[in-house]
Amino acid sequence: MTTRIEIGREPARYDSAATFFDGNAPLPVPARLSIDEEAEMLVIAPEGRAPQRWPLSEIRRVPDQAGGDLLVVRLRGDPVARLIVEDHVLIARCPHIDRRPPVQNRWKLAGWAVAAVASVALIITVLVPAMADQLARYIPPEGERALGETTLTQIREAMDETGMDPIATCEAPAGRAALDRMTARFHAVMPADQPLTVLVLDHPMINAFALPGGYVVFFRGLIDTAETPEEVAAVLAHEIGHVVSRDPTRHALRSAGSIGVLGLLFGDFAGGTVVLFLAERLIEAQYSQQAEIDADAFAYDALTRADLPPAALATMFERLREEGGEPPAILSHFMSHPELTERITAAERASPEGLETRPVLDDAEWAALQAICD
Amino acid sequence: MKPAMTETVLHTDFAGRRWRLFWLAFRTGLFTILTLGIYRFWMRTRLRRLYWSAVRPGGHPLEYVGAPLEKLLGFLVAVVVLAFYIGIVNLLLMFASFSIFEGASVVYGASFLGVIPLWIFARYRARRYILARTRWRVVRFGLAPGAWGYAWRAILHWLITILTLGLLWPRMTFWLEKYSTDRSYFGTQRFAQGGRWTMLWRATLHVWIPLLLAAGLGLALLAEMPTAAATLDDPYTDAVVDLPLPLDQRLLFFIPLSLWALYGIVHYRVRSFEILTRHKSLGGVSLAAEPNPRRVLWIGLSGYLLVLLAIALPVTPLIGALVFVEVSQMVPGDALDVPRWALAAAAAVLYFLIFLMWSTLTHVFVTLPLTRHYATRFTVQNADALSRIDQRARDEFAEAEGFADALDVGAAI
Repeated sequence: MTTRIEIGREPARYDSAATFFDGNAPLPVPARLSIDEEAEMLVIAPEGRAPQRWPLSEIRRVPDQAGGDLLVVRLRGDPVARLIVEDHVLIARCPHIDRRPPVQNRWKLAGWAVAAVASVALIITVLVPAMADQLARYIPPEGERALGETTLTQIREAMDETGMDPIATCEAPAGRAALDRMTARFHAVMPADQPLTVLVLDHPMINAFALPGGYVVFFRGLIDTAETPEEVAAVLAHEIGHVVSRDPTRHALRSAGSIGVLGLLFGDFAGGTVVLFLAERLIEAQYSQQAEIDADAFAYDALTRADLPPAALATMFERLREEGGEPPAILSHFMSHPELTERITAAERASPEGLETRPVLDDAEWAALQAICD
Repeated sequence: MKPAMTETVLHTDFAGRRWRLFWLAFRTGLFTILTLGIYRFWMRTRLRRLYWSAVRPGGHPLEYVGAPLEKLLGFLVAVVVLAFYIGIVNLLLMFASFSIFEGASVVYGASFLGVIPLWIFARYRARRYILARTRWRVVRFGLAPGAWGYAWRAILHWLITILTLGLLWPRMTFWLEKYSTDRSYFGTQRFAQGGRWTMLWRATLHVWIPLLLAAGLGLALLAEMPTAAATLDDPYTDAVVDLPLPLDQRLLFFIPLSLWALYGIVHYRVRSFEILTRHKSLGGVSLAAEPNPRRVLWIGLSGYLLVLLAIALPVTPLIGALVFVEVSQMVPGDALDVPRWALAAAAAVLYFLIFLMWSTLTHVFVTLPLTRHYATRFTVQNADALSRIDQRARDEFAEAEGFADALDVGAAI
C-alpha cells in the first residue's frame, strides 16, 4: 500500500517536520525532512546543523512503539541516532523499514546453548547419580525412614483426585494380619537391622513400589489383579530386593538434585511448579536395568528360601502385561521396562528342580487380604 | 545553534493503550507457552519496548534497546554456572537435612537461605542490564558494576532490620537505594542520592500505628482472659458476666488493623520512592515524583479484582463442564464416552488458558495503570542542565539478565 498521491508524473513532494537526535547529546533538534527522489535519500535538515542524508532503503523503524502517534526511525548501522516523525507518510517511502537486523554472535550463542545442554545433561545423568549413590550409603537409618515418610505423604497427596484428603491406607484387621503373615515369610532373608513396613493404598492402580527406610507400598489394584497370594508375595519379594539394595534412597537423592536444575531451565514459564512436576515425571530416572535384574535375582532367592515358587513373579509380570492396555498401569515401573519378556523367562527358569512349596496364605487369609480395603 | 530546550521543567506523558498492550501480551504469552518458555526472551523484550516507549519525559519516549538473543545467551551462561551449584547444593542439603534433622523442612529452609545472596546479586545485575539498555533522547543510562558489594550490604541490612524488629527498615531502604543510585549514570553524568535515612522514618507510621494498636489489643485481651475465666467459673456469682464486649467480637478489630497495616506497607513503598526521588540529582538536574499511595493501593486492589472477574466469568462454566464430563465418566453405561487423554488435554489447555489470561490481564489492569500513575507524576526539574551531558559507551554485558531469569527473580516485565 502506498500513500503517495500521484499528480501527473511527479510524485508529491515529501516535506515534513521531525525531531532529530544525533546520538551524542540529549538534545532534541527540530529538523525539516525532504526526499531526494533521484538519489532515493531522505534529507534531514536539523536547525543550525549540516544536513544529513539517509538512504531510504537503509531506514529502519524502531519496533513496538506505544501510542501510535510517533514514528521512530534509525539508520541501519548507526546504533544511536534517531529521528522522531509525527506523520507516517515516510513508512511507505522506505522499502525495508521493517527488515530485522541480522543475528549477531550466532556461533557464540550456539556454543553456549550446547554448553548449557551438555552441563545440565552431565549433571543430571552423571554427577548427581554418582553423588547420590555415594551419599545413600552414609545416610543413617532414621534419616532414611524420615525421607520415606515424607515421600509417602507426598505420593498420597499427589494421587488424590478429590483434592481433599490424601488417599487412604487400607487397615482392615484381618487383611492386615494376612499381610503381616506374608511379610513374616521373608524375615529369614532380610538383613538383621533392616526395618520393613508393608502398606496397601486404596487406589485402583496396578502397581507396587519401594520407598527409602524400608517401605513397600502396594496399590489395591495389584492385589485385586493377582489371582493367588503367591503372586503378591512374589512382587513383595521383588520390592524387598529394592529395599535391601537401597535403590529408593538413591532415587530420592537423585531427584532432589535434578529437580532444581530443571527448575533453572524452565524459569518462570507457566507457573513453574506444574511444568516442573511434569518434567520430572518425564525424565524420572527409572531404576537402572541392573537394579531391576538384581531385585529379580533377590526375589528368586528369597522366594525359594521361603518355600515359595519364583515362577509366581513371571505370572505376575504376564498379568501386568495383559493389563498394560490401561494407561495408568503404564506408569508402573514394571510396564515401562523393555526387557519384560526376558525377565518372565528368567523367572520361569528360576524354580529349582523339586522345590517343595508351602502356601503363603490359606484361603481365608487370602480372602481377608483381598478385602483389606473394604 | 539555537538551544532546543527552553523549558526548565519537563513533565511526563504516558502513551500506553490497553488494547495494544493486551494483544501484544496475549500473543507473546501464547507463543511463550507453545515454545515451552523459550519465547519469553522475545516476549519480555517486546513488552519492555512498548512500556518504555509509552513513558515520555518532556514528550520524548524512552527507548528499550535490549535484544532477545542476548537475553537467551545470558540465560544459557547462567544455566551453565548455576546448574552445577543448584544440583549439587540441593542434593547435599537433602542428604544433610535427612541425616541430621530427619525431616524435609530444613531442606527447604536451607536451600532458600542459600539462594538469597545469589538472588540479590542477580537483582543488581538485572538492574544493570536494564539500565544499560534504556535510552532517553538517545543517551544511554548505565549502572557501574558492584553486584557483590550490593549483595553483602543487602544481607547485612536485612539482618540489622530483622534484629531491630523492623525499626531500621528505612535505613536499609535508604542505603541500598543510595548504593545503586550513586552508581547509576545518564550519559556521562552520574546520579547522586542525597538526604538522610531518617527522612524516611515518618513514612513508616502507617505500618507502626496499626501494629502497635494490634499489639496493645492483643495484650489487653490476654490480660483479661484469666479474669474472664474466673468470673465465669465463680460458683457464688450467678450474675451475668459483665465483659464490655464478648471476647470474640473484639477480635474483629484485628481485621481493620491488618488492612491498615497493609495500606501502611503500600504507603511506605510509595512515599519512600517519592522522598528518595526528590533527593536524587543528576548534575544540575533534579527529579520529582508525586505518586499517591491511596491511588496506588486502589489501582492494585481494583485491578486484581477486575482480573479475577474477567477470568472467573468465562472460566467457571468451562471448569464446570469439565467436572461434569469427568463425573459422568464414573457412572457406568453413560452415553458420554470421552477418552481419558482427551479429558487430561482439556484440563491442560484450561490450565494454560487461565495462566495466559492471568498474565495478560494483570498487564492490562495493573501494570499499565500503575506505570501510567507513576509516569505522569514524574517531572525533570532544571532540565537546561541536561545540555552538559554527553553519550556514554555501550555496556556490552554479555550475561544480560540471565541470572535473574534463571533464578526467577520476580520481575513483572
